[in-house]
Amino acid sequence: MRRNNSELWLAFFAMLGITAVYAVVLAATREVPAAGELFGHSLGIFGFTLMLMTETLYSLRKRSRSARWGKMSSWLKFHIFTGLVGPFMVLLHTSWKFNGLAGAVTLLTLIVVFSGIIGRYIYTAVPRTADGTEIESAELERQIAASDAQIKEWLAARPQMAPLLQRRLDALPDASQAGWVAVLGRSLIEWEYRRAWKRERRKADAKVRAQMAEIEKMVRRKQALTRQVASLAMARRLLAVWHAVHIPIGMALFTAAFVHIAGALYFSTFLR
Amino acid sequence: MNKGRLGCFSASAITAFALTLLVLSGVAFAGGAKMFNPGGLNAQSGEGKLGGVASHAEVGEQCSACHVAPWSADNMGDRCADCHTEINADLQNASSLHGSLMQDSPQLQCRACHPEHRGPAAALVEMDPATFPHETVGFSLEAHAQNADGTSFTCGDCHIRGIASFDPTSCADCHRQLDVAFARAHTLAYGADCLACHDGVETYGKDFDHGRADFKLSGKHTAVVCSGCHLDARSIDDLKAAPQDCVACHRKDDEHNGKFGADCAACHTPEDWEAADFDHNLSDFKLEGKHAGVDCEECHVNNVYKGTPTDCYACHQRDDEHNGEFGTDCSACHNPTDWEDAVFDHSRADFPLTGAHVNVKCEQCHVNDTFAGTPADCAACHADPDFHAGAFGADCASCHTSSGWSPAQYRASHPVVADEGGRGINHGGASCTTCHPSTVYSYTCLACHSDNQGGEGGGDD
Repeated sequence: MRRNNSELWLAFFAMLGITAVYAVVLAATREVPAAGELFGHSLGIFGFTLMLMTETLYSLRKRSRSARWGKMSSWLKFHIFTGLVGPFMVLLHTSWKFNGLAGAVTLLTLIVVFSGIIGRYIYTAVPRTADGTEIESAELERQIAASDAQIKEWLAARPQMAPLLQRRLDALPDASQAGWVAVLGRSLIEWEYRRAWKRERRKADAKVRAQMAEIEKMVRRKQALTRQVASLAMARRLLAVWHAVHIPIGMALFTAAFVHIAGALYFSTFLR
Repeated sequence: MNKGRLGCFSASAITAFALTLLVLSGVAFAGGAKMFNPGGLNAQSGEGKLGGVASHAEVGEQCSACHVAPWSADNMGDRCADCHTEINADLQNASSLHGSLMQDSPQLQCRACHPEHRGPAAALVEMDPATFPHETVGFSLEAHAQNADGTSFTCGDCHIRGIASFDPTSCADCHRQLDVAFARAHTLAYGADCLACHDGVETYGKDFDHGRADFKLSGKHTAVVCSGCHLDARSIDDLKAAPQDCVACHRKDDEHNGKFGADCAACHTPEDWEAADFDHNLSDFKLEGKHAGVDCEECHVNNVYKGTPTDCYACHQRDDEHNGEFGTDCSACHNPTDWEDAVFDHSRADFPLTGAHVNVKCEQCHVNDTFAGTPADCAACHADPDFHAGAFGADCASCHTSSGWSPAQYRASHPVVADEGGRGINHGGASCTTCHPSTVYSYTCLACHSDNQGGEGGGDD
């Protein structure tokens, strides 16, 4: 199953739009929007609101057993979107000054965002259904068997492709590793193999290239399933560890942020 | 992980919350509210100390020195005024910069223009040129909404080395971009200290109305460049001190070489040199009658005006039909209206006209218009009548008056009739012809007396 990264694109375009507005304000005023002035303050308020939504809404949905609140995967997408756009707005709100508590809050924000990115990466190592529910090992084994059958069927219809398929299978890294490196470094491990396969595809003629694409799709599916089966336990363990780290950092961030807001209200907003 | 509980209520989250609060409390305890400090305070020193410090940076750790609690009756401006007493005094003076600002915006706070926490070297003054009443510091920004390149003005465009200083070269730099030729010529003519004359509303710039000045511009004066009259002016006072008398500028144009004095405007107007209108009546020689129609050159030969003689003869010698016989003062008889309409006052002559002489035509005495040498003796005009028979000589006036030949009064010794008390002969009111009906050499008494009283004499009278 090919992952849909629409939330990342949406977040990217939202940040692009916000950057454009920021640039317009910057050009118009010829100065970096101050955190305490209308535009800078608005960035902070909206950004922090998005961060609060990031922190709470997805967690609430995870704990709701009712499907009427929407698919888990959709909430995760929203969580990722707000988790990227909110901190980005907060970053612009800083007016690029990182003094005192405000600077610490910014630093914590960046840490939490970075942690979130890692968390999402670990999250994707755990096989899930389309609605985000985890798939157990037995089901994975069944899917691997189905994948094998699909490959054999495809090869039977195209026996001339057997050498090519075999070469691709031979080039695959070992997916049976179950360590944390296999979970966190999987993209890196497979990257070189995928690049070599792409180079070979480019050299082939159009007909072979189409068949190579089909081979790649089947092989990668089987490879992912094999790796997921092997590292499922490790992925779950890492996800638990990540939660144990991410949530306290997030809590520290929001605690510091609220103190920062209280200080800003006292020393600036309500200043007479 | 407990699926039924939010992550933020997990033990690790609560611990993180508590730890964060603990750390922040510790920081607050150690450094006060410093952790909320968004940036360093300004470290630039003023002149001397205010409130015991030389710069804001020296109170950097005492937030309450400037910040007041939201619920306090004071505001931050009160804290500023505690130290900046001279500004506090300004605030009460509406003609000062700060007083003017406060009058326009009573709620304005110091920090609106004097932001802080922007670092030790950051500018302490920040104003919105669009709203700052810059005219209160002597220069309005009314005409300075944009730079030469169309961008909005910022303080730093003119106050290159900080808001407290102004370098006139910033004017020249920008205005050269607008019109390099003008800027160069203007700077050469008036110097580089733009503010010496310009106030931003162009009172003495492009909106200057010379009509408000003592010297109104009209005619060709309106096309003259300012520096044509205001030479080497470097200030408004210099401009105002430009001389207003014509010759200050027009001496070189004076074709009369000063002969008409310095007041060109007595004859000329700014419209045109040529269209001069000389009021000759302002001169010593007023033009009257036909003199008014005479071309200037007739009297002022070769455009020489000064020293032109005013005696009639200087011009009218050629017209003198009397050939100088009456002297050179034509006006004694003639007037400028008409030569012919002359009135000779004979009483000024050696021979005053009296009696019947008054009505005698000139030609009767002055034959052939010869006036000089006309004899004054009676006999020159009056022939001795036969009646006198040459007995009395040429002095008619010894008996006659100019009122008429008769009556005449014989005053000499009469051989017959005696003088009556020195009044001459009366003889009972008889006239000469009563006794001498034909000539003085014959007489008769019988015209009055009977025969026995006398007779036609043959004897002497």
